Amino acid sequence: MSEASRLGRWSMLLWVAPAVVLLAVFVYYPVVDNILLSLYRWDAFSPKDVWVGLDNYVNLAADPVFWSALFNNVAYAVVSVVVQVGGGLTLAAVLEELVHGRLKGFFRTVYFIPAVISLTITGLLFQFIYNPQIGLLNQLLGGLGLGALEHSWLGESATAIWSIIAMSQWQSIGYVMVLFIVAMQRIPRELYEAAYIDGATRPQAFRRITVPLVREMSVLAMIITVSGAFLVFNEVQVMTAGGPNNSSHTLGTWLYKSAFFNDQMGYAAAIAVVIFLITITVSIVQLFLNRGKVVQY
Amino acid sequence: MNVGSETELKEENVRTTIRAKRPISRFLALAMTAGLVLAACSGSATPAPTPAPSPSGPAASTEPAASPSPSPAAELEGTISFLHKYSDPRYAPYFESVVAAYMAAHPKVTIQIQAESDQGVKDKLRILAASKQLPDIYFSWAGDFTKKFVRGELAKDLTADVTGAWKDSFTPAALDAYTYDGKLYGVPITLDAKYMAYNTKLFADNGVAVPTNLAELLAACDTFKAKGIEPIAFGNQYGWPAIHYLTQLNPYFVPAATLQKDYDPATGEFTDPGYQKALEAFADVNTHCLTKGANGISHEAAQAQFLAGKSAMHYLEAVEFFALTEKGGAPAALAANWDFFQLPAPASPAGDAGYLTGAPDGFLVNPNSQHLDIAIDFLKFLTNADNAAKLVADLGWLSPITGSATAANTFPQNVTVIENINKAKGMAIWLDTVTQIDVANAYLNGAQAMLDGTKTPAQVMDDVRAAAAKAKAESQ
Repeated sequence: MSEASRLGRWSMLLWVAPAVVLLAVFVYYPVVDNILLSLYRWDAFSPKDVWVGLDNYVNLAADPVFWSALFNNVAYAVVSVVVQVGGGLTLAAVLEELVHGRLKGFFRTVYFIPAVISLTITGLLFQFIYNPQIGLLNQLLGGLGLGALEHSWLGESATAIWSIIAMSQWQSIGYVMVLFIVAMQRIPRELYEAAYIDGATRPQAFRRITVPLVREMSVLAMIITVSGAFLVFNEVQVMTAGGPNNSSHTLGTWLYKSAFFNDQMGYAAAIAVVIFLITITVSIVQLFLNRGKVVQY
Repeated sequence: MNVGSETELKEENVRTTIRAKRPISRFLALAMTAGLVLAACSGSATPAPTPAPSPSGPAASTEPAASPSPSPAAELEGTISFLHKYSDPRYAPYFESVVAAYMAAHPKVTIQIQAESDQGVKDKLRILAASKQLPDIYFSWAGDFTKKFVRGELAKDLTADVTGAWKDSFTPAALDAYTYDGKLYGVPITLDAKYMAYNTKLFADNGVAVPTNLAELLAACDTFKAKGIEPIAFGNQYGWPAIHYLTQLNPYFVPAATLQKDYDPATGEFTDPGYQKALEAFADVNTHCLTKGANGISHEAAQAQFLAGKSAMHYLEAVEFFALTEKGGAPAALAANWDFFQLPAPASPAGDAGYLTGAPDGFLVNPNSQHLDIAIDFLKFLTNADNAAKLVADLGWLSPITGSATAANTFPQNVTVIENINKAKGMAIWLDTVTQIDVANAYLNGAQAMLDGTKTPAQVMDDVRAAAAKAKAESQ
C-alpha cells in the first residue's frame, strides 16, 4: 500500500472517529450496559444489585401485562402500516394526480399540520374529544342517532388502546404522505403520459408506475412506522398512562411503569432488551427483503 | 422509452460514494464534528442538582446514628437543592417567595428550587435516587413511599434535629406520619384530608339532607339521579381517586389493628372479609353515585363539572378546597353554596368510623447532603409560624403548625377541617402510598377494573392477596 494511500486511510478514520466515539458512548455502550443490568434485580432505593440471571426474562414470559403490551404494539404496527403507509401513499397520489393549483398546497398543509403538533398537546386534545360526557366524538355519535355506539373511549379496556392508535394515525398520516409526495415528484411525467397514451387508467398507472417507483420510500416509511409503533410512549402515557387496568400499556409505557413506579429496574431493563431485539430484527428483515431493488423502465 | 441518463433506473445493487469535492466542505464537516464533541463533553446549561456522594460499602447497611446538625448560630454558607411537587402556577410562587426570603436573610446561602408536578415527582425521585443525586431537601409522601427512602438509607434521621419548640409547634399526628421505628424522617408542611364536598343549593332545592351513613348516601344519589343531576362527579383516569374511596372504606370495614398488620409488607395477608366488603361498598357507590366511564375522565375534568354546578357532590382533598372559593377561581354560584362532610360509614361498621383519610405532605433530607445545617435550618424556616400562616392565607392549604389556620386568614370550611382533623381518632394514609407497591398496584388496577366491569370485588381481593404474599416473601 502506498504512503499516500495509507495516509488517506488514516485521514478517513480520523474523520469518522468522533461520530463513532459518540455512537459508542451514547448508543452502543448503554445498549450493552442495559443487557447486563437486565440480569440483576435492583431498584432506585436498594443499596446493592442482586444477581438473578435470566429470572427477569422468565418473569417477563409469565407476565400477562407484557403480552398484552406486546399485542398492543403489534396492533399499533399493523394499523400504522395499513393506514399511514397505505393511506399516506394513496393520499399523496390523489394530491399529486387529481388536485391542482393552490388547492394542492392547501391540502398538503392541512394534512401535514397534525404532524407538527406536539404529541403531548395532541394527547390532551384527544382526551377532550374522547371525554364520555362532553367529548366531541360521543356528541357527534349522539347527534347522528348513533348513541348506542357511545363509549368511554379511554376508560374501557376494550377501546382504550384502539382510541390511542386512531389518534396516532390522524397525527402521522400527513408526515408519511409528504414523504411519498417527495418520492413521487422524482418520477418522470413522461412515464405517466406514455401509459395514458397506451390506454392505462389512473388506478393502473398508480399500481404499475407509482407504487414500484416509490418502493425505496415505501420501505423507509414502513421501517419508520413499524419502529415507531414499537417505541410508542408519549401518546399512551399522556392519554391513559397504560390504564384502565393495564389494558392500554405498550412495551414502552410498561417499561416506564416497571422502572419508575414499581421499582423494578432490572425487569424494566429486560423489557428494554426485548424492545431492542424486536425493532432491530424488524428493521433488518425489512432491509434484507428490499435490498438494492430498483425498478427499471 | 428514452428517459435520459440521469433518471435511468437500473435493476442492480446500488452503491453510493460521497466525495467532498471542495476543501471548504471538509472544513465544515470538521467544524460540525468538533461542535458535536464539545457539546457532548460540556456541562448542561441548567444547574444540575448537587450530587450526593456515593454511599459507602457494607458498613453503611447499619442505620446511621442520628446526629444533630451544627448549630445554626454560625453564618450559614453554601448551596442546596430543594425539590418539591408544587409546580402548579397557583402554588409555586409561595415556595419561591419563602426561598427568596430565606436567601435574603442568609446572603451566603443559595437554594436551587426544582419544581415538579404531582405525577412527575414520582419518577423524578426514583431517577435521582437511582443515580445517587437526590437533592438536599426533597418531597415525599408519608407511608411506604417514605419508608423506601428510609430502607435505602436515603433519608436522614431527623429525631435529634426536630426538637424543643420546633417539635412542639407541630400537630402530633403530622409528625407521626413520618415516624418509623420511633425515628422521625420527615418534616410535614401540609395537613390534608379527604372530604365529600357538596353543593348546598342543589341539596336544599331537591330536599336532600346530608347523609349520615352509607345507605343514606346511596339514597341521596338515587334522588339526584332521578332528577337528572349527576350525584358525584368522579374522574379516575390515573386510578388514585378510586383508591381514596377505598382508603376511607377499609377502616370502616376492617379493624384498625388488622389494617396496621396488613399494610406492613412483612406481615400483610389481607384475609379479613372486611376488605371485600369495602370493595363491595365501593361498587355500590359506583353503581348509584359515580360518573359513568370515569376511567376515561380526569379528576380535574370531574371537578370542573362540580364547579359548574352540574354535580351535587365531589370527593376531593382539603388542599383542593381553595379551588371551590371565589378567590380560587370558582364561579360565584358554587363558591357561596358549598360545604363538606366525611364519606359516611355504614350504619354498623365492623371497623372504626373515627378514622379519616388523609396524610400530611412533607420533605425529607438527604443524609449525604454537604450542607445538612442549611437544609435543616431552611425546613425550620419553612415551617415557622409566619410561613405556616402565609401558606394558609396564600394557598388555602392547612399547615400542621398549630394555630396557623384561623378565621382571620382562611375561609370557614378550612377552620372546620382543622376541628374535624383534631377530633379524628387517626388518619388513614392514602392506600397507594401506605402499602407496598405491588399491593398498591393490585388495588389501583383492581378498582379500575371494577369500574370497567371487568373484575369483581372477589377477584380484586384475590389479586391483592397474591400481591401481599409476594411482598411478604420479598421482605424476608
